[in-house]
Amino acid sequence: MTSPITKHKQKPKTQKTVPWSVIVLDDPVNLQAYVTMVFKKVFGYSQTKAEMLMMEVHTMGRSVVWTGAREKAEFYVQQLHTWQLQTTMEKVV
Amino acid sequence: MAASNDYGESSMTLTPTLEGGLVIEPGSEKDWQVLQMISRDSGRSAYLAESLAGLMIEDSEWEEYVVPDLTSSFDRQSSYVAVTIEEARKHGEQVIFVKPKHAEQWYGAVNQARLALEARYKLSKLDDLEGAPDEMRSAYFRDRFYLMLQSMLLEYVMGETSHY
Repeated sequence: MTSPITKHKQKPKTQKTVPWSVIVLDDPVNLQAYVTMVFKKVFGYSQTKAEMLMMEVHTMGRSVVWTGAREKAEFYVQQLHTWQLQTTMEKVV
Repeated sequence: MAASNDYGESSMTLTPTLEGGLVIEPGSEKDWQVLQMISRDSGRSAYLAESLAGLMIEDSEWEEYVVPDLTSSFDRQSSYVAVTIEEARKHGEQVIFVKPKHAEQWYGAVNQARLALEARYKLSKLDDLEGAPDEMRSAYFRDRFYLMLQSMLLEYVMGETSHY
């Protein structure tokens, strides 16, 4: 009697998904109330959170407004560009 | 509540409507010319789309996939405002109504104009108008009017309190 050969399926090597940050940069044109409104519309943030992020953009010159998968980060950047906000994305290190 | 903007000899009135919109009432030929400058000041829509793309990481292929859509979107805003103003002039209307459903188009077109003026003249860094060239002074006053129009749109039509 032969023992059955058991094949062990090798787990595929999962590539660790690197998160990306969506970053809004300050500019001298876009109004604070407008930037707050855009954050609420694009991300569904509360007034308080949207204002906090807007103030960070205003005082620090930039703010990380969202972090997550690259594809979704690109989608958000595209949305923010449509609203004419200076936006970029960076890999989280 | 109404707001007027003075630049030189003329003034323009902006008044919120009971329906949640805004009425723009040009008081003179000069005012109409200022309104017509909104789309002219915006310049090439592709410029804004390309400058935003310049902020993106190199391998994003933004130029190829996103810039054309952004350019079309900016073009639509700018064209809508230009056509609305032209039609109002053509039909001898005294005022222009901005309905709530068109507020974002107006805001976007005016924002494009202000972004383009800032890129061209660096108005935010202008300390003193004295001695500034006429072209820059004129751009400065248009920018102030555009800013007021945006603030009124935000506060009375788009429902956001404006502070800048």
